[in-house]
Amino acid sequence: MSQPAPLPLVESLLDAPLPVSGIAWLDAARQQNREAFAAGGLPDTRVEAWKYTALRALAQRRFAHGDAAAATRAVDTSTFALPGVEGPRLVFVNGVFRADLSAVDRLPAGLTLQPLSQALRGDAEPLRFVLARPALIGDVREAGDAFARVNAASAVDGVVLRVAANVKVAAPVQLVFVGAAAEVELAWHLRNVIELGEGAELSLVEQHVSGDGPAQLATLVSDIEVRGGARLHHTLLQSVAVGTNLIRRSSVRLHARAHAMLHVLELGGALVRHDLRAELIGDGARFDTRGVFMPHGRQHIDTQLAIRHQALNTASTSNWRGVANDRARGVFRGAIVVAPGADGSDASLSNKNLLLSPGAEIDTKPELEIYADEVKAAHGATVGQLDERSLFYLRSRGIPLAEARALLTAAFCRAVLDDLPNEALREHLSVMLVAQLPNA
Amino acid sequence: MNNESSTTATLRGNAGVAEVLGRSYAAGFVTDIEMTGLPPGLSEETVRQISAIKQEPAWMTEWRLGAYRHWLTMPKPDWAKLNIEPIDYQAISYYAAPKAGPKSLAEVDPALLETYEKLGIPLHERAALAGVAVDAVFDSVSVGTTFRKQLAEAGVLFCSMSEAIREYPELVRKYLGSVVPTGDNFFAALNSAVFSDGSFVFIPKGVRCPMELSTYFRINAQNTGQFERTLIVAEEGSHVSYLEGCTAPKRDENQLHAAVVELVALEKAQIKYSTVQNWYPGDENGVGGIYNFVTKRGDCRGDDSKISWTQVETGSAITWKYPSVVLRGDRSVGEFYSVALTHHFQQADTGTKMIHLGKHTKSKIVAKGISAGRSSNSYRGLVKMEKGADGARNYTQCDSLLIGKKCGAHTFPYMEVKNPTAIVEHEATTSKISDDQMFYCRSRGISEEDAVSMIVDGFCKQVFRELPMEFAVEAKKLLEVSLEGAVG
Repeated sequence: MSQPAPLPLVESLLDAPLPVSGIAWLDAARQQNREAFAAGGLPDTRVEAWKYTALRALAQRRFAHGDAAAATRAVDTSTFALPGVEGPRLVFVNGVFRADLSAVDRLPAGLTLQPLSQALRGDAEPLRFVLARPALIGDVREAGDAFARVNAASAVDGVVLRVAANVKVAAPVQLVFVGAAAEVELAWHLRNVIELGEGAELSLVEQHVSGDGPAQLATLVSDIEVRGGARLHHTLLQSVAVGTNLIRRSSVRLHARAHAMLHVLELGGALVRHDLRAELIGDGARFDTRGVFMPHGRQHIDTQLAIRHQALNTASTSNWRGVANDRARGVFRGAIVVAPGADGSDASLSNKNLLLSPGAEIDTKPELEIYADEVKAAHGATVGQLDERSLFYLRSRGIPLAEARALLTAAFCRAVLDDLPNEALREHLSVMLVAQLPNA
Repeated sequence: MNNESSTTATLRGNAGVAEVLGRSYAAGFVTDIEMTGLPPGLSEETVRQISAIKQEPAWMTEWRLGAYRHWLTMPKPDWAKLNIEPIDYQAISYYAAPKAGPKSLAEVDPALLETYEKLGIPLHERAALAGVAVDAVFDSVSVGTTFRKQLAEAGVLFCSMSEAIREYPELVRKYLGSVVPTGDNFFAALNSAVFSDGSFVFIPKGVRCPMELSTYFRINAQNTGQFERTLIVAEEGSHVSYLEGCTAPKRDENQLHAAVVELVALEKAQIKYSTVQNWYPGDENGVGGIYNFVTKRGDCRGDDSKISWTQVETGSAITWKYPSVVLRGDRSVGEFYSVALTHHFQQADTGTKMIHLGKHTKSKIVAKGISAGRSSNSYRGLVKMEKGADGARNYTQCDSLLIGKKCGAHTFPYMEVKNPTAIVEHEATTSKISDDQMFYCRSRGISEEDAVSMIVDGFCKQVFRELPMEFAVEAKKLLEVSLEGAVG
């Protein structure tokens, strides 16, 4: 889908100097991804995965590359303080690691937590498999991977997190990605590599925050490997400012009997996109996702969830809620694939949505692709309003309409937090959800 | 129908299984009849020739040429979950007709009548007993329409499309292409350029059509494509039920069928359109079979109108078909009931679109997919609630049944909602016939084949209920035949 005249966004991203690491394979991979992006360009809405997310407006902007002042920008740490989350912490500001804001001095044994830039200065070889993956380079005409290619070409930092086999990390690890207001419109990129060894356990909190100011474009690509029997609790809280465009791809691979549970709150941003892919490659693996997206104003929040069952007796459950208000648009795709031979797969997905305003829009697309017969697979999706009878019940007990609505909407969203194990965090997130509601 | 219902009855017993095993595709014979037609190839000249053979007015020729020129600029759609061998559009003959053109039903070639007799389609004296008016389309032309007189008395126009273009040009001109424009999609554009025949139905204001109308499509000639065009217009307050059936001989090469069906329902009108699609599906190795690329769309133009699609899809090597309803009038209703069965190497990508524009419009979708063998069966549907669709409602239910380890069953529903008072609900499940169900039936002495056919029948009941009686019987039987060899 290459365009005749280069789009300002593409031009500005291609103008950025290609980072040089001195590691031959990494520099080659960056070069190849840069070329693939230059050849493939941006996806338009004819590309199925971008059908409901038009990049037209974003494509007309130019973003400066890198923030020279990132290491010294003042950041209010209270913007990412969370109750129940007081463990090791890694903070990045405008794509740059900030040791002064991070907490990595007393890491428990078996936990490696360091910025990618630092990891690459040591032994880069273990990262080669992930960072030089050829998949993105593939067919250059395929524009769907545009941002992942930009990220692979330009990201110089990110998180490297490893938990050694059979290590259970008690305190939750916090990853904070801050967009701090700069003088110009800024683009930055981060690459995260996370691995839980066999039998390891980790609770992870990923946060995206940003300040008001000139618009930003951030891309984040995360690879999460959960080895045999390991358990991951991952909470993702996105509450960036309305000027921040955030495009992420997270790929989770689950080995035999591994279990990952993910809770997602998508609350902020301008154009927000999350490609969340899970592959259940080991027998007995399990993946559970819970999420809520609440676009308001003119926000556009797009979640593309794709779960692939590739082994025997794997299970996945997904429960997502969307609430769109004002002139906002919520997009959800929930695809479940059961590969040939993945007998005993049990997959269910539900996406319920509320439309609160005549200017808002919800586009949802649950998908099932089933190639094995010993399976249970079901999905459901609804778009509608609050239940009139419930509203009537509350009003008949003297609760004003606006309050009754807020109450029911809050209950609708909070359902996805029910099984979040960290109680203090769960309460905090509930309060955040309620605060986001109209009439709150 | 008589001998066919008895087949159904014997199927109940174990003795019937052997018979069914031998039957496979019963409609696969070839009628040896003298044919005339155009040589293979497609150009503006071909389009002009078709138009000339059919003695069409100049505006019609221009309409076709416009569609053809547009088609040349269009890319082939590749979004469906189908593997389609490239089609050589120059290798297809776009017009084939029995040489001795019939003047009336009495003069129809006996070989042709025999063909329809074999297929169980009452064209002649048996028609009176069946009480269904039939338009039979053989390759490119309509060979006869029954019950013309009785229908004319009620004011109903039911004839072949070629005849309608000659006899009722103003009606055709007003409605043709008004639901599916010539440039709507690749196959609709091709159809608009080269369509040869089809049925035309016009139900005037306030008339309830006195009998079921039906068209039976038959592809016979080799290397031909069938491109029929059906237009049904139901004026204010009228009512019609229309049935469509199709078969083709067994051949090793793939044949192309690209039809367009347009329905127009004005205020308070109701159209019920039922299809039993049994084009030749190819053999158990995936050789041959019809490529079925069909555009079917209904337009609920008037308030309180209703369009209901029911389809049973068992045939064709490839099915690409999305009968849709545009719910324009306030309080209009759209329905879609579908059973799609694929076996061996068949591929189906079928579903519906419900476009809600008017206030308090309602739609209901019930889709049942059954995959067996190495087949691939996808439901693809769109429910769209536009800004003006206050209080609109949709309910969708999609269930897939897998028989065997090598087939695929897929569901791709799209929901786009722009109105905060609209409600859209979608549910889908995928499962196989459970061991418990099988064990229960087997322990009561029911053979495996019969048990599968009973369970499948139950799975499809919700859709079969919507079919006119005779079609329901035929559909049930078709499923049994199509599933032959799927178990064990």
